[in-house]
Amino acid sequence: MESLTTEITRPAEGKKRKHRFWYTMLQQRYLYLMSVPFVIWLIIFSYVPIWGWLVAFQNYKPGKSIFDQKWIGLKSFIELFSDERFYHVLRNTLAMSVMGLIVGFTVPIIFALLLNELRGRWFKRSIQTISYLPHFVSWVVVAGLITKMLSVDGGAVNQLLMSLHLIDKPIQFMAKGEWFWGIVTISDMWKETGWSSIIYIAAMAGIDPEQYEAATVDGAGRFRRMWHITLPGIRPTFMVLFILSIGNLISIGFEKQFLLGNPLVSDYSEVIDLYALNYGIGLSRYSYGTAIGIFNSVISIILVFTANGIYKRVTKETII
Amino acid sequence: MKGKVAKISSVLIVSALLATTGCTNSSQTKPTTSDASTATADPKPDLTPMTVRLGTGGPFDPYWDEMQSDVGKVIKEKTGITLKKEFSVEGGDPQKYYSLMVASNEYPDLVSGGVSQLVNAGAVLDLAPLIDKYGPNIKKVYGDYMKRLRWSNTDHAIYALPWPGVNGTTFDAGGGFEIQHQVLKELGYPQIKTVKDYEAALKAYKDKHPTTADGKPTIGMSLNAGEWQIVISVTNPAFFTTGAPDDGEFFIDPKTYEAKLHYLRPEEKEYFRWLNHMNDIGLLDPESFTQKYDQYKAKIATGRVLGMIDQEWDYGEALNTLKKEGKFDQTYAHFPVTLNDTYKDHSFQDTGYMAGPGISITKSAKDPVRLIKFLDYLASDEGQVLINWGIEGVHYKVENGKRVIPADVLEKKNNDANNFKKSTGIGNYTLLSASYGDGVKDPSGNYYTTTFPELIQAKYSKADKETLAAYKASTYLDLWPKKEEFPVKPWGAAWTINLETGSEADVIKTKCLDIMKKRVPEAILAKPDQFDAIWDAFMKDLDKAGVQKLNQAYTQLVKDRIKLWNE
Repeated sequence: MESLTTEITRPAEGKKRKHRFWYTMLQQRYLYLMSVPFVIWLIIFSYVPIWGWLVAFQNYKPGKSIFDQKWIGLKSFIELFSDERFYHVLRNTLAMSVMGLIVGFTVPIIFALLLNELRGRWFKRSIQTISYLPHFVSWVVVAGLITKMLSVDGGAVNQLLMSLHLIDKPIQFMAKGEWFWGIVTISDMWKETGWSSIIYIAAMAGIDPEQYEAATVDGAGRFRRMWHITLPGIRPTFMVLFILSIGNLISIGFEKQFLLGNPLVSDYSEVIDLYALNYGIGLSRYSYGTAIGIFNSVISIILVFTANGIYKRVTKETII
Repeated sequence: MKGKVAKISSVLIVSALLATTGCTNSSQTKPTTSDASTATADPKPDLTPMTVRLGTGGPFDPYWDEMQSDVGKVIKEKTGITLKKEFSVEGGDPQKYYSLMVASNEYPDLVSGGVSQLVNAGAVLDLAPLIDKYGPNIKKVYGDYMKRLRWSNTDHAIYALPWPGVNGTTFDAGGGFEIQHQVLKELGYPQIKTVKDYEAALKAYKDKHPTTADGKPTIGMSLNAGEWQIVISVTNPAFFTTGAPDDGEFFIDPKTYEAKLHYLRPEEKEYFRWLNHMNDIGLLDPESFTQKYDQYKAKIATGRVLGMIDQEWDYGEALNTLKKEGKFDQTYAHFPVTLNDTYKDHSFQDTGYMAGPGISITKSAKDPVRLIKFLDYLASDEGQVLINWGIEGVHYKVENGKRVIPADVLEKKNNDANNFKKSTGIGNYTLLSASYGDGVKDPSGNYYTTTFPELIQAKYSKADKETLAAYKASTYLDLWPKKEEFPVKPWGAAWTINLETGSEADVIKTKCLDIMKKRVPEAILAKPDQFDAIWDAFMKDLDKAGVQKLNQAYTQLVKDRIKLWNE
C-alpha cells in the first residue's frame, strides 16, 4: 500500500531509510490519518474496478454474475493481436498522438514565451482570454466548422487559395487520407494552444525577477534571458506535464477523429478507442473490449516509466 | 491487501443491494395493489400519474413534444402516463446505443428497437402472458400474425411489439431516384426508366443552367454518404436498380434461399461503375462521401441539388424547408430507375406482415401491467384514431360519417409539417404500439391512418400533380412495378433477421461493412480505368474477412425464419 502514496524518493539513502520511515510516520501520524480517506477513495475507484479485468478472460454475457461466466483464457488477446486492423488503428493512434504531443508542447510554450515578453498588462490579459476560449467549444461544433471551412463547395480555405491563385481547382481536404492526421493536429492546436499555455504563463510569473535583472546587468539580451532564465524556470512544470501526457499517448479518445472522419479517410482516422467501441462494446463483445483496455493500460504504464527513467538518467531527478 | 479489498468491496456490494431492494420495495407497493384490482374486474383504469422512460435508438428529435401537444395531453389524461423519450447521445448508430445500455445494465421502462441485444442480455420481458391478460386490443390488431411475433423456433416468447402497421398497403413511393420537377418540366417530361435516362436528364439541365437563379452553381446529383446513410443512398440502390428486393445487406436466392452479401452480385458492380462514371463526368457532387448529414440537408434546402438517390424520410426536413419557402419546382419526383430495361424494381414485392424489432418492456419497468395497458390503449380503436387523426373537432371533422381534415389543418400539416407535428403531436405517438397499417378501415368505415389514396393526392403540390399527369400516373407508386407482379417472400424481409450479437458471423459482418464503407467510395471516386482493380481488391478483402462463413451463417438464419413464420 505504501507504493500507492506518491512521494518524492531521493536516491542514495541506504539502510537507514527503513528505520527513518517508521520514525517519520510516528511523527506525522495526524497527517497520515488525514490522508486515509483519500487513499480509501483511490482504492475503491481506481483499484477495486481492476478485478473487472477478469472479463477479458471470459466469454462475458451481461446479466450474469462475473463468477458464472465461461472462462476462455487468452482467446480475446490472441484474436486482438492477430487482427490486422488492430495494428492499423494502433499506428493511427500513435501517429496522431505523437504529432499532437509535439505540437501540443512546442506551440503553447512559444506562445507563452511571446506573451510573457509583452508589456501591456491589459493587452496581454485579453489576448490570453481570447486564445483559450476555443477550449470551451465542443468538438462537435469545431468539427462542423472545420468541415465547412475545408469544403470544396464554398469553403473559406479553398476560396482563399483560389483567390490567391495558388490552386485552380478546389482541393478536397476531407477526402485525402494522408492529410487527415495534419488536419486533426492543426484543429487541436487551434483549440488547445491558449488553454495549455496558461500553466506555462503561471510558471513564468513565478520566476524571480532578480534573475532577469542580474542577467540584464551582465549584458544578456532578450533572447539570452528567454533561453537561460525563462526556459529553465519552467522546466519542472514542462517535464511533469510531458511525462504525464506520454502516459496518455495511447488513450487519446476518439471524439475528434470520429467527428472529423468519413469513410474515405477511415484508413487514417480510426483510432484504438473507436476500434474498441466498434468491435468491442458495439458488438456486445465485452471481453474483447476489456482486452483492448488492458493492452492500453499496460502500454501506458510502460511508456510512463520509460519516460521517467530517461528523465532520471539525464537529470538525476525523478517525478514519479 | 487482498483481504481488505474483498472486505471493502463486499461492504459496498451489500450496501448497494440494500439500497436497490429498498427502492424496488417502495415503488412496487403500488403496482401490486393495482394488480389485484385490475385482475379482478378492472372497473376503472389506474390513472395515477406515472412517468415512463422510453429509450429510442434514434438521434435527438427536435419535434418531439414532451407530451405537451394536443394529442399528448389527451393520452396523458386517458392513461395517466407521461412518456419521456430518451435519445441516442451520439446521434449515430442505434446499435451502439443499445449495446451501451446493456453494458451499463441500466434500462428505461420501454425500449424502441434493439431487441436482439436486449434479449441476449436477458433485459426484456416476455409480453405473451401480459398481452393474453391485459392486451385485447393488441391481440386484435395482430390477429393471425401473432405467431410471427414469436422469438425463435426454440423460444416462443414475444419480446417486442413490432412497429410496422398490420395489413398495411403502400399508396405512395418515397424512394427510388429523385429528380427536381423543374428539370422534368424544362425537358418536356422525358422517359426516366434507366440510369442512362436519368443521367441524360440531369446532364441536359445542368448544361443549360450551370447556376441557379441566385447565382449558385447547380449540383447534378448528391448522395448522403458521409455517415451511416451510405447504405440508404449508395448501396441499397445497387440492388433496387438490379432487380432485387430489399433484404438489408444480403441477397437471398428466391429458389434455394441461399443468402449472400449483396455486394458480391456481379450485377451490382455495374451499378457502381455507373456511379463512377457519374463522378467522372462531374454530375456527382464531389462532397458526397465527405459531407455530414447537416451539410447534405442544407444543400438540398437551397434547391441547388437537381437529383438524389435517397428515401424521402431521410431528406424530409430539407423538403419541408423547400415547401415552406414555396420552392415547389425544386422539390422532387420519384422514379423506379433501373440499371437497364431488363431489370424490374422490386421495392414493393410483398413480404407479408413483417414482425421484427419494435417496442419492448424491460426488466427495469416498475409496473409492466400498467405499461401493457398503456400500449393496449394506443392500439385500441380510440387510441389509433387519436394518434393518427388527432382530436375530433380540432384536427378533423366527421362529415356524413366520414373523417375529414379541414383545409386549414391540412395546409399546415403538409407545408409546415415540423411545427405541426410538434404542436399537435400527430405523428409523434405512432410506432409506439401495435398499429393498423395504411388502408385498413375501422368499424365506422374510415381508415385508421391518414395515409390513403385520396389524401395522398391532396398532399401533392401543384408541381407533383403536373409531373404525375405528364407521366399518366396518379401517385408515384403507379410508376413502380405492382406487388402482384412478384411472388410473396416467405422470409419477409431479411433486414429483420439479425445475427447473434458478438458471434463470429456478426464480427465478420461488421468487418465486411467497414471494408465496404471504405472500398465503395474509393471505387466510385477513382479514375474509370482503375475501377476494376479497386473492385477486385474489394472482393479480395471481403473474402479475406471471411464473407463465405458469414453467408453460410445467414443462410441458416433465413431458413430458420422461414420455418418459424410458415409452419
